Amino acid sequence: MIIIWTRGLVRRRFGRLAATALGIAVAVALAAALGSFLTASKSTMTARAARSVAVDWQVEVQPGADPAAVLKGVRSAPGVHTALPVGFARTSGFQARAGGSLQTTGPGTALGMPDGYRAAFPQEIRQLTGAPDGVELAQQTAANLHAAPGDTVTVSLPGTRGAQVKVDGVVDLPQADSLFQKVGAPAQTQPTAPPDNVILLPARVLAEMTKAAGPGAVTTQIHVARDATLPSDPAAAYTAVTGAAHHLEVRSAGGAVVGDNLGAALGAAREDALYAQILFLFLGAPGVILAALLTAAVAGAGADRRRGEQALLRTRGLAPRQVGVLATVEALVVGTCGGLLGLGLAALAGQAAFGTASFGATAASAALWSGTAFALGLCVALLVVLVPAVRDLRSGTVAQARSTVGRRHRSPLWMRYGLDVAMLAGSFLVFRASSGNNYALVLAPEGVPGISVSYWAFLGPALLWLGSALVLWRLTALVLRHGRTPLTRVARPLTGTLAGTAAAAITRRRRPLARSVVLFALALSFAVSTATFNATYRQQAEADAQLTNGADVTVTEPPGGTAGPGAARELAAVPGVHHVEPVQHRFAYVGSDLQDLYGVQPATIGSATALQDAYFQGGTAHDLLATLQARPDAVLVSAETVHDFQLTPGDLINLRLQDTRTRSLRTVPFHFAGVVKEFPTAPKDSFLVANAAYVARSTGSNAVGAFLVDTGGAHQKAVGERLRARVGTAATVTDITGTRNAVGSSLTSVDLAGLTRIELFFAILLAAGAGGIVLVLGLAERRRTFAIATVLGASRRQLRGLVLSEAAVTTAGGLAGGAVIGWALSQMLVKVLTGVFDPPPATIAVPWAYLALTVAVALAVIAWAALGSARNSSRPAVEELREP
Amino acid sequence: MTTTEVLADAHDAARTFGRGPTAVVAVHGATFQVRAGDRIAVVGPSGSGKSTLLHLLAGLERPSGGRVSWPALDPGPAGTAPAHQIGVVFQGPSLIPALDVVENAALPLVLAGVREGEAQRRARDALHLLGIADLAGRLPEELSGGQAQRVAIARVLTQAPRLVLADEPTGQLDRATADHVADVLLSAVDMLGAALVLSTHDPAVAQRLAVRREMHEGRLLASDGTRGTHS
Repeated sequence: MIIIWTRGLVRRRFGRLAATALGIAVAVALAAALGSFLTASKSTMTARAARSVAVDWQVEVQPGADPAAVLKGVRSAPGVHTALPVGFARTSGFQARAGGSLQTTGPGTALGMPDGYRAAFPQEIRQLTGAPDGVELAQQTAANLHAAPGDTVTVSLPGTRGAQVKVDGVVDLPQADSLFQKVGAPAQTQPTAPPDNVILLPARVLAEMTKAAGPGAVTTQIHVARDATLPSDPAAAYTAVTGAAHHLEVRSAGGAVVGDNLGAALGAAREDALYAQILFLFLGAPGVILAALLTAAVAGAGADRRRGEQALLRTRGLAPRQVGVLATVEALVVGTCGGLLGLGLAALAGQAAFGTASFGATAASAALWSGTAFALGLCVALLVVLVPAVRDLRSGTVAQARSTVGRRHRSPLWMRYGLDVAMLAGSFLVFRASSGNNYALVLAPEGVPGISVSYWAFLGPALLWLGSALVLWRLTALVLRHGRTPLTRVARPLTGTLAGTAAAAITRRRRPLARSVVLFALALSFAVSTATFNATYRQQAEADAQLTNGADVTVTEPPGGTAGPGAARELAAVPGVHHVEPVQHRFAYVGSDLQDLYGVQPATIGSATALQDAYFQGGTAHDLLATLQARPDAVLVSAETVHDFQLTPGDLINLRLQDTRTRSLRTVPFHFAGVVKEFPTAPKDSFLVANAAYVARSTGSNAVGAFLVDTGGAHQKAVGERLRARVGTAATVTDITGTRNAVGSSLTSVDLAGLTRIELFFAILLAAGAGGIVLVLGLAERRRTFAIATVLGASRRQLRGLVLSEAAVTTAGGLAGGAVIGWALSQMLVKVLTGVFDPPPATIAVPWAYLALTVAVALAVIAWAALGSARNSSRPAVEELREP
Repeated sequence: MTTTEVLADAHDAARTFGRGPTAVVAVHGATFQVRAGDRIAVVGPSGSGKSTLLHLLAGLERPSGGRVSWPALDPGPAGTAPAHQIGVVFQGPSLIPALDVVENAALPLVLAGVREGEAQRRARDALHLLGIADLAGRLPEELSGGQAQRVAIARVLTQAPRLVLADEPTGQLDRATADHVADVLLSAVDMLGAALVLSTHDPAVAQRLAVRREMHEGRLLASDGTRGTHS
C-alpha cells in the first residue's frame, strides 16, 4: 500500500512534491552553508589569533627562583617549541649628545636580548633603520634623544655608573603593550602605556652593565613560542592554552608566573567567534525560517486536494493511523529529496564562494553541519506535510465544518487580540533594554573560561520581523477590504471594463493576497536587511583598515626623516596615484604626558582618507577640520586628555614641541577645538591633531611623517609595489590589502566576503522565489475561475488583465512592505550588533545596486510567473472544468 | 430569426482523447444540427459521450474529426466559437467563488464589454425573473447546490444567448430540486426564445423536452435507436 501510494504521489503529484522539496532544499542549503562557514570562520579566527601574537607566553621568573631551572622547566613543558630568556632592567634614564646639545630622557627599560631572539619571535621587533644586531633604540626613544645609528647613548642604571653604548639601529616594537606587561597582574592594574624609553641590548651587554647592581636589578622573562596543535574553536583553544599555562605555573611551584599572550588573543577571538555565531543566527535564521514558510505555503496550496484524498482513503476503510503513516511517508520522501538537494546546493555554493564544498571546514565539522541541516529539512517536511495532515484527520469532520459556517469571515485570533502590535511593542522594549548596556551581546571576562551571550537581545529584531509582518498582513487586508474604488481605478488600465469585477475579486480574496504580500515582503526585507548589514560591515571594515593603514597606501618616513610636503609631487607622479596627502608626525608633551601629534592640511586631508563623523566629538568631521583650517592654532585632543585636564572648547593648551632649529623643546600655544577619538595611522591611546602649517611654523620644520596615498580605492597592492620601487629603503610603504588581513583578531578582519556572497545569493533566491511562488500558487488555485471565465467568453487579454492585476497588488504591497520592514530591521540590526563593528558606524551603508538587482530579479520572476499563468489559464477550459 | 435557422451544425464530428492504443473515442462521427427553437434532450448512461458532444457544440472542444459550425451565429474573434451567443450550464459548480451572485450573473455581459452598472442591472432583472433576487449579495460558498444552479441559469438568462447548452444541470441534485431547476431552465429558455440542448441521464427531465436523442458508447443514435441524424 505504502509503495503504491508513494508511486502514485510521485507520478500524479510530482509538481507539488517537487516544489515542496525545493523549498526544503533552500532551507537545508542555507543552514548547511552558513553552519559550515561558521565552523570554518572559527577555525580561521583561532589561527589568526595565534598568528597575531609575537610571543605566546612571557614566563616571568619570580624573585628567589633560579632562572636556569625555570628555563629548563619551561623547555620541558608540553607544547613548548622555543623558550629564550630575556632580561628586563629598569633604567633611570638615557642621555645622548646630538648637534652639540645634550638630550636626556626620563626612566626607561633596558632589555637583554639573547641570540636568535629575532628569528624565534620575528613579530616582536621591526627594524626601522640601521643594523638588526647589536644595540637598538626604540623609535620614540631615538626621537627623544635625537639619536641615530652610530650615535652614542649613555644608559643610567640605578646603583651603577652610566654605561655608554653605540647605537646600531632604531626599531619599532609593535607589541610593546604585551612586551612590557606586568606579568600576572589583572588587566585593571596593567600599565596604561608601555615605557617611553626603551633600549635593546645584547644579553651579554646587559649582564655586564648590571653586574655591579646585583642580580635583583634584572628581572628574567622566558619568552615562549608554542607549537601545540590548537582546537579549531577559539573558546576551546583558549581553554586549552590557559590550562597549559596554569599547569606550567603549578609545576614551577611558585618559581614562575605566565603572561599568557596567546590566551589573551584567543580570549578576544572567542568573543569574536561568538559574535560570528550571533551573526549566523541573526542573518541566517530568518532565511531558514523564510524558506520553511515558503515550503509551508507550497504544501498548503495542495491542502484541499490532500484533504479530498484523505477522505477517500478513509471511506475506503483506511484507519486514521494508516492515513497518518502515508502522510509520514510523503513527508519523508520530500524531506529526504529536499535535504539531499539542499546539501548538493550547499556544496555548490561552497565550491563557488570558497573553492571547496566544505567551506573550508574540516570534514568532520562539515559532516556534522550537513547532518544537522538534513535533520532540519526533515523537521520542516514533517511540519508542513505531516502536521496539517494529522490536524485534518483529527478535526476534518462534518461537525467541525458546520461549526465554522457563519464564522469564516471573522478575523484570525492574532488579529483580534492585537498580537502584531504587542510584538512591535515588545520589540521596542527589548531594543531599549539592550541599549542600556550598549548592546553588549557577548560577555567574555578576561581570564574566565566561561563566556556568555545575551541571546535575549535577539528578541528585538525577531519580534520586529514577525510583528511588522503581521501588521503588514493586517494593513493589506484592511486596504483591500475598504479600497475597492481605488483598486478599480488601478485595475482599469490592465482589465478595461472588467476593472470593477477584478477589484471585487481582489477584495474578496484579500486573505490569500495578504499572505502572498507578507511572504514576498518578508523575503525582500531579508534581502534588504542582510545586504544593508553586510554593506555597513564592509564599510566599517574598510574604515578600520583605513584607520590602521592611514589610506589606500601609506608611505611612512623613517624617524628623523626630513622629507617635506614637496615630496608628495614625486609620489603623485606614480601611475595609479590619485592624490598624495602629507601628514606630520611629531611628539608633544601635554603636561608630563608624551603624546603623538599629527599635523594635517585640513582642506585636503579628506581627499586621501575617509574621516567619519564617528571619529570626532563636539562636531562633525567637516566642522572640526574647518575649525582647524580657520584657526591654525586649534587642536583636537583625545577624550582622556579633555577629562584629565578638564578642558572646554577654546581653552588654551600649551604643548611642548621640539624645535628643529634649536633642537630643544619649546612651548607652543594651541586652543582646544574638539575631541578626536580615531584618526588614520594614530594609536588607540591619546594623541593630538593640529594644523600642519602652524606646527611647521612653530617648530621650524615641515618634515612629513607619512604620505597618505589615495588610489581611488583600486589597485592598492599594485600602486604600493610601484611606490616601494620608487622610494626604495628610504621609507616604508604599506598598502591597505595587507592591513585588512592583519588587523588583529577582530571579527572585522575575518573574511566575510564568502558569507556575504552566500547570504546575498540566497536572499535573491528567496525574494524571487517568494514573489513567483506565491503568485503562481495563488493563480493555480484559481485555474477553475479562469476556465469559467473562458467559457463565458473571456478573451486572452482579459484573462491576462485579471492575472496581472493580482500580480500588481502582490508586487506593490510586497515591495512597499519589504522596503519598510527591511529598513526598520536594518536600523535595529546595525544598532543591536554594534559590538561587531569596529569602529561603530555613523551611518548605515545601503547597497543600492544589489537591492536594485534583487528587485529586478523578483519582478522578472513575478512577470514570468504571471504571464505563464495567464498563458496556462487559457488552455482548453473544459479540461480544467473536468477536474473534480 | 426563422425556425429553419441552423444555430449549431456538427458534421461527422468526432472527439478522441489520447493517442495510440490507449486512445479513447468519446464521440464517433456525430452529425447533428440544432435549429432555433429546438428543445433537445441528449440522453444516455454515464460515459456515453453526452458531455463531450455538448462541449463540441459549445466550441469548448475542437473535433478530432469532422467539423462543427454555427451558421446562424456571429463568429467569435479569429473564427472561434461564438461564446457570447452560446450559454452553457455545467453539472458541477460553475460560479466564480470570489464574486457574489449578481457579479457572477453579470460576468458574461461585462466580458462582452457592457458597462458594469448596466450588466448588473440586467443580472438583477434575471435573478428577479427566476425568483432568486434575494440571493443577489451572497457568495457562491453560501449557496446550496440547487441555488447555485439557478444562479448559473440566471447568468445564461442575463447573457441572452440564442443557444443554451446544459450539461447534466440536475445531475447532482435531489429529485425535488432537480425538478425545480429544470422548471427554471425551461422557463428561462422560453423567455429568451433560445434553442436548448440538454444532456441528462434523468428520464424525468428528458421527458420534458420535445426531442430526445440517445448516445451509446460515443455514438449518437437515431430516435429509433439506430445511428442517425437530427435535423
